[in-house]
Amino acid sequence: MHHGNHFYGHAHVLAEYCGLDPADPPRIDGYLQHGWNVVDGLGAGTPYAPGRPIFVWSERTRRRAWSMNRPLATVIGAPFLYLLSAQSEPDAASAQSDPDAGGEREGTIWYPFHGWEGQHVDGDHQRLIDEIVATEPGPITFCLYWHEFRDARIRAAYEKAGRVICHGYRGYMRMQTDARFLHKQLAELRRHRRVASNRLSSAVFYGVAAGCEPAVYGNPMRLAKEDGPTARRIPREWPELHGTNPDVTAARATAMAELGAGHLASPAELRAVLGWTAGREMREAA
Amino acid sequence: MIRMIGGEMPEFAERLPAAGGDLYRHLAGRLPAGAHVLVAGPHEPGLIEALADGRTVTCLLRSQPDAEALSAQGFTVLCGTLAKLTGEDRYDAVVALDGTGRLCSPEGPQYDWAESVRVLKRVMRPGGTLLLTVENELGVHRLADPGTPTAPGTGEWRPLGEFGTAPGRPDRLAAALGAEGLPVSGLAAAWPDPAHPTLLATPETLRYGPLDALAALASGAVADAYAGKPVLSDPRRLAGAAVRRGLGAELAPAWIAVAQLATRPAVTVPLAPALYRSAGTVVEVIGEPDGTWSRRTADGTRDTLPLPAGRLLEEALLTAALGHDLPGLRRLLTGWMAALPTTAAGNVLVDGDRYTVLDPGRPDQPDALARFAHTLDAGGYAHPWPAVTDMARLTEVLAGAAGLAAAPEPPGPTGAPDGRRELTARIDELRRRLDDAEARSRFFEAELEKRDAELGRAKVQIAAFSGSLGFRAAKAGLGLARKARNSLRKGQQ
Repeated sequence: MHHGNHFYGHAHVLAEYCGLDPADPPRIDGYLQHGWNVVDGLGAGTPYAPGRPIFVWSERTRRRAWSMNRPLATVIGAPFLYLLSAQSEPDAASAQSDPDAGGEREGTIWYPFHGWEGQHVDGDHQRLIDEIVATEPGPITFCLYWHEFRDARIRAAYEKAGRVICHGYRGYMRMQTDARFLHKQLAELRRHRRVASNRLSSAVFYGVAAGCEPAVYGNPMRLAKEDGPTARRIPREWPELHGTNPDVTAARATAMAELGAGHLASPAELRAVLGWTAGREMREAA
Repeated sequence: MIRMIGGEMPEFAERLPAAGGDLYRHLAGRLPAGAHVLVAGPHEPGLIEALADGRTVTCLLRSQPDAEALSAQGFTVLCGTLAKLTGEDRYDAVVALDGTGRLCSPEGPQYDWAESVRVLKRVMRPGGTLLLTVENELGVHRLADPGTPTAPGTGEWRPLGEFGTAPGRPDRLAAALGAEGLPVSGLAAAWPDPAHPTLLATPETLRYGPLDALAALASGAVADAYAGKPVLSDPRRLAGAAVRRGLGAELAPAWIAVAQLATRPAVTVPLAPALYRSAGTVVEVIGEPDGTWSRRTADGTRDTLPLPAGRLLEEALLTAALGHDLPGLRRLLTGWMAALPTTAAGNVLVDGDRYTVLDPGRPDQPDALARFAHTLDAGGYAHPWPAVTDMARLTEVLAGAAGLAAAPEPPGPTGAPDGRRELTARIDELRRRLDDAEARSRFFEAELEKRDAELGRAKVQIAAFSGSLGFRAAKAGLGLARKARNSLRKGQQ
């Protein structure tokens, strides 16, 4: 339906989970939440076809969507968790202590807050880098969003302080979508002990789900035309995930709930919910 | 034999069904052998036959045609109005399981409830027993009734309904009979209707007993009685919720009182904590000394079995759906389909991971899951998949949530009660969907216009790059002119 369903290859991951061709996900009968947010699950300004559901990550988001006049919100859980369920680590618990069990985790993967096509970030990257270097105990991998990664000046600043990567292009209008975006992100997260950002965001939650210890600190930067009260609401609402060394147990409980852990649908249920069943296609064709 | 006592109705035959059924027959069968019994008001022949087995039975009917029909079957019948019952003949027991509403004819005094009871008492021998049914005018059957008992032409020539004088609560019924010198030795609430109860439970059991199982039994009793019938709102939920929430005795459609003219050493008609009909047999629910509950057939032909614990699966599923408890709902659906895939959700008790058939006498339902999808949809219940409005697709979703590989076919006629409130909810829902569909059509039109404009521009560009030299020159000129205009505009700002 909306091209946002293909961002980060979300539709592709779900198609694979459902046993369909991941290269060509069928049209989803609604809108996928494509990133963690504190509103109704959709990005601000998403053109929304009335009467179609939003497929949100968590029950909390569904309740919030309901309160924002989106009664058709349906909880399916984050596509990242579906990917994780398909690609579980051989032994996630021992991965940190036993270097042979899938490679030793080391250092921090740091996600500087990013902008997108419609909103650019305004802030001093160098000051942020200095703070990160002073805080992080081990080697740092900076994961830049494609937007910043393409900017040679910004990229150079980060390259002086550590390794710089980019998971890929999330895609736009279904063009150049990197369907392996989440796969690459998962592989990188599993190489690191910590995941950090200057804003609580999807990447931090994904990192926790992939077994990293989270941290949220540093100048949060400003997004052009950003809603100030919403940004200030986040540390107030989720204090357990903020700081340089939050309590891992509490942080993990919150992060997994926000991703919708325990709410994932079976392939058969997900196919029916997304409108991907053979019966439905036949009925519509008739 | 027929004896005309006066005040009979020569042309009138009773229109509403007479009292009867297995449970009434079971109670009547407990009256002592050899007793003289007066059966006051219309009762089914089968019930009268059961009473006549080893006892002497006299019937009282106001309708002459009905009296003649019964007399032709060999029964002794008094035909006339209640006021003509003088007390010359006395009885060991009076059975008034049809209540007191159809004892007076249009002739003579029109007795209210208490006056009718007094006349019945007058014909009882000392130590005699009264079996009396009192309809609850605020019972679930009334709350669900789309008609009004007080409208002209609906029932009696004095359609008093809830404006009548009969006691409105089981404890008040006991007090009223006690005040008339008829102390109550047993009292039971009855479902699903006063004339043909299939479940009886004492007020004590409905307060301290196995409420979940009783709620399930009440819901099942009501489901049978209202299959496919028009109702205000689903009486299965009303009955189930009333019992589960401790209002079972107060909201039951009727109460049955066993009263004695004077106290006797032994109770003549003992009432089990609960009685219900299952596949033609009467089952007793009994309390065990250790506080648990058992069930056994009332005729003692089969072993005593524990009464299954747990809540009615259908209600548990609806609760999980309404609460948007997806993990809970999936657990229940999966457990149900693994343990009892062809037993209706309304006939399964769930207790943790244990799924038990409540009433093994009910037939299997191979399409039980699809029927639950229908319940969810037709009942207007909120559930975790609000955008799935198509029945077949909702069934597919539930099958997926239940861990089934293939979705079952949509159910045939489900026999669910046809509720006005649920219908209104569906109409509201359809209105919302129509509004959404119209808004969506406007949304797509706007999108289409946007795309059309984009396509138009792209076509011009294609033409410009592939067209004749003259056309390209003209386009280039136009482009330059546009640029010049834009820069002029910028300069003005």
